Amino acid sequence: MSAVVSPIRDPLITGHKDYHQITEDICAPSERTPSVAWVVSFLIAVSVLAVGVFCILWTIWFGIGTWNLNRTIGWGWDITNFVWWIGIGHAGTLISAILLLFRQKWRTGVNRAAEAMTIFAVLCAALFPGIHVGRMWVVFFFFPYPNTRGPLWVNFNSPLLWDLFAISTYFTVSLLFWYTGLVPDFATLRDRATGLRKRFYNFLSFGWTGAAKHWQRFESLSLVLAGIATPLVLSVHTIVSFDFATSVIPGWHTTIFPPYFVAGAIFSGFAMVLTLMIITRKVLKLEDYITVEHIDSMNKVILLTGTIVGVAYLTELFIAWYSGYIYEQYAFLNRVKGVYWWAYVGMMSCNVLSPQIFWFRKFRRNIALTFFMSIFVNIGMWFERFVIIPTTLARDYLPSSWSYYVPTWVEIGIFIGTLGIFFTLYLIFTRVAPVVAIAEVKSILKTSGDQYAGEHAKHAHKPHSHEEESVAH
Amino acid sequence: MSTNREILFGLYDDETDLLSAVKVAKERHLNIDNVFSPFPVHGLDPLLGLKESRLHQAGFIYGMIGTLTAFLFMTWVFTRDWPIIFGGKPYWSVPAFIPITFELTVLFASIGMVVTYYAVNGQGPGVTNPVLDDRITDDKFCISFDAGHSSEEELAAYRKFLGETGASEIRTKTI
Amino acid sequence: MNQFTFPSRARVFLMVCMAIGLVCLGITYVTDDALHTRFWSNLLHNSVFFTGIAFLALFFLCANVIAFSGWYTVFKRLWEAYAQFLIVGLVLLLVIVAGLWMHAHHLYHWADADAVAADEILQHKSAFLNPLNYTLFTVIIVGLWIFFARKIRSISLEEENVDKFDFSVHKRKLRIWAAAFLPIAGFSSAAMVWLWVMSVDAHWYSTLFAWYATISWFVTMLCITVLTLIYLKGKGYFTEVTSDHFHDLGKYIFGFSVFWTYLWFSQYMLIWYGNVGEETIYFKQRLQDYPVLFYANLAINFVLPFFVLMRNDTKRKAGSLTVITIVLILGHWLDYFLMLKPGILHTAHEVLGHDAAHHAADHAHGAAEHAHHASHMVAGFTLPGFLEIGTFIGFAGLFAFFFLRQLTKAPLVSYRDPYIDESLHHHVV
Repeated sequence: MSAVVSPIRDPLITGHKDYHQITEDICAPSERTPSVAWVVSFLIAVSVLAVGVFCILWTIWFGIGTWNLNRTIGWGWDITNFVWWIGIGHAGTLISAILLLFRQKWRTGVNRAAEAMTIFAVLCAALFPGIHVGRMWVVFFFFPYPNTRGPLWVNFNSPLLWDLFAISTYFTVSLLFWYTGLVPDFATLRDRATGLRKRFYNFLSFGWTGAAKHWQRFESLSLVLAGIATPLVLSVHTIVSFDFATSVIPGWHTTIFPPYFVAGAIFSGFAMVLTLMIITRKVLKLEDYITVEHIDSMNKVILLTGTIVGVAYLTELFIAWYSGYIYEQYAFLNRVKGVYWWAYVGMMSCNVLSPQIFWFRKFRRNIALTFFMSIFVNIGMWFERFVIIPTTLARDYLPSSWSYYVPTWVEIGIFIGTLGIFFTLYLIFTRVAPVVAIAEVKSILKTSGDQYAGEHAKHAHKPHSHEEESVAH
Repeated sequence: MSTNREILFGLYDDETDLLSAVKVAKERHLNIDNVFSPFPVHGLDPLLGLKESRLHQAGFIYGMIGTLTAFLFMTWVFTRDWPIIFGGKPYWSVPAFIPITFELTVLFASIGMVVTYYAVNGQGPGVTNPVLDDRITDDKFCISFDAGHSSEEELAAYRKFLGETGASEIRTKTI
Repeated sequence: MNQFTFPSRARVFLMVCMAIGLVCLGITYVTDDALHTRFWSNLLHNSVFFTGIAFLALFFLCANVIAFSGWYTVFKRLWEAYAQFLIVGLVLLLVIVAGLWMHAHHLYHWADADAVAADEILQHKSAFLNPLNYTLFTVIIVGLWIFFARKIRSISLEEENVDKFDFSVHKRKLRIWAAAFLPIAGFSSAAMVWLWVMSVDAHWYSTLFAWYATISWFVTMLCITVLTLIYLKGKGYFTEVTSDHFHDLGKYIFGFSVFWTYLWFSQYMLIWYGNVGEETIYFKQRLQDYPVLFYANLAINFVLPFFVLMRNDTKRKAGSLTVITIVLILGHWLDYFLMLKPGILHTAHEVLGHDAAHHAADHAHGAAEHAHHASHMVAGFTLPGFLEIGTFIGFAGLFAFFFLRQLTKAPLVSYRDPYIDESLHHHVV
């Protein structure tokens, strides 16, 4: 990170903070008694979670027959939700890893919460492969372990098994990455706490002292983990896309799926980060750390990835026509004009068309609009997965087995339940851990605090400018 | 974890003060025991003479172990232990092994590195290391000297140094 | 020295390179088969390759402006200069277009009226694959790129005349034009790759192909940047460019080499796994008849940069960077060679009627038979010969000559760019 910062950059920390004030502000939410809003939200989230648990138990007790899957449409809301959640789980590690490598400083404001969100989203996602197999009590058959059945190994050539490895690796690495970053901040909380709280944070902070050598190793570890987490993020949704693309089903077997799924995942992940951040910054009074500048940057990523996804949609459509392969052509005609046309319309309007408003700076910096759009994008991305999965399956090679699918209350209940799980965990997280990475924000204060950076502070830069040098050259 | 070491330390209010102090200490050949800060301070490592961390090299080795484990295991299963033809593919179908091989490479490298990191740092669940001052994780920057093993002259030099370089507090603590 | 003067020795050297290229093209034309396939395919190969590099320079420059990136500012004139090569690229491609209309070459199966008449698939595709479309897309889209290349360049030069703390040009002009270019580039480049490159295998299709080909250009562009900087630093220019800048360029080359491999693997694995004859033909042909290039492509463009550039020190030293970037430029040039030549050779065989029997068999047995056409070693196709290397040297000389001339037209380092201080004090941590 270069020490010199151009005055053209807007500050990322506002309110003339000093180091102590940063500590105070960010630690405050976990040191206060929970607000009424928090308690109410928590109760709602837990109730929704309970609905989910009930529906999952119902599924396990009565079997997959309680879902409306049929001979033709073998994957419905279950896998749609799975892919949707996994996609949301992409922003966290992306913000931490790729933006760290690209030295985008605005990541420091949002990375912690985004990583937490990743972990919770992956948990929600991992639920679906587990329950959709029906006999949940033997899911350990998924794993390759020496067994008394031969030993009959799992099929290493199956993308579904690759997925198991990808998701468990992704979950583990994200957790390690997140927790390693949390340790110094837990130490901050520990050193402010007393009594039982101190013992609690003492345990969580692993004996962190802030020694120079430890910081050096910390930075080295963060950088290498970021370096390997970046291809990992790509690989996870790539492998999810392989679940579809390795088949020879028209509409699924297409080579653009891997990068296009990844772009879509980043897109939906950022949308969820925005949804959460806009609420969090308001409720926890962190507007000085998650500024409009952060929201602006994230909206740019939304616009970029939304447009990449748009390029991919059009590429698919074009190549379907270009291929001259009638089944492929029909698969896309069916998406656009078939029985599920509304899902396609929803996908196109939410994912490609509506984000285009973010070309305008005014809209990118409008918080209410951004909040609305972030939810819109998440709906759109859910539709995308729905378009890919049930719509494609509803029309198979044999018109006699064409069918239509609507979910039962159990399937809907499980989906809503995962939202409950997600928000319950997120709400607990906001109470226990600092929502913004304290140490990282402190490390950019001197370059991005509003008393140091931005056009208003530009006179401070004049003496360091290179006007004289430029004449000499 | 108490070692009964007597530590003399000074607290600074800003990382720039800390950096200039460490420079002075280097000029005077003072034997700094440790430096603590609430966030990583850039430019500190070369002044303290800290060698570059070799964690990434360890990570590379762990990763390679993961690569070999995954690839050789799948090879063994599908060519020796229980060869099965899936979808008309050869037993040893390398392209299909790549995804799992990649995932295990990353998994081994990450877990290995994180475990190594905590091990060499002397940290982990349930570990308590002595803290010189509670504000070091907040807004203070600390330079410490091993007072127990220093002569009187050395101690005087340390105190003088801390005072001259603008430490806002100078204290001793037995940890 | 902030004003570049084109050394006369370099001028002569590059002229010699271009002369070598011309001579090689001439020899190729004379010694060629009746359709001059080798001559035309070499022309197409190099024109597309270098036009794409110029395009990617512009694209990456705009992407950096939009990402508020600062570190590259000190050498941004290089990318502006590369981008101007699009004009030459358009001229070169217009030669191909002219050849298409005059039926001077048979690079494209779909341009052959007889072939189309006997081929349902080509008839279906003729709405897109036809000479008029090819011409219009080339002229309009490359024309659009040229327009943006000149626009961005002129705004960037306009910045030279404003006060350093006056950001209005950067904010109100540069960012807006750069932002406008990105989606245009994203959509249009795919169409150009389909037309120029993918359509040589007129039956075959892959949705990923355009992105894959684009990344190949991108890595090459970065390598050329590194080489140019090393050369200019050796001449005493760009003293402001430090090993930290090289480190970051090295990271980009490393990262995007891995990304290239990712796209390569995604495309290969999905086609291999799906095992649909219409798709596997592409790789079957290359694995059977071009095995050396097929594996060399992976070894050079993935294994080599992965292991060499993984270390930090190799990204910072001129020696290791020079070697790896030259190898990578050749590697991606070979990648394009492998994308283009098999399909072109196959079309030529069909037209020449070498295997009349096979020709008939094609339609009887489907696409899988195609691979037989190239089953013997053909100089300039199975492997690049001296003439291909010579032609490449000529084109590389043309590219270098053109952008070095562009560099003389403005100060090398833009001291009025708002981000210049960050770039001058760039440190990789």
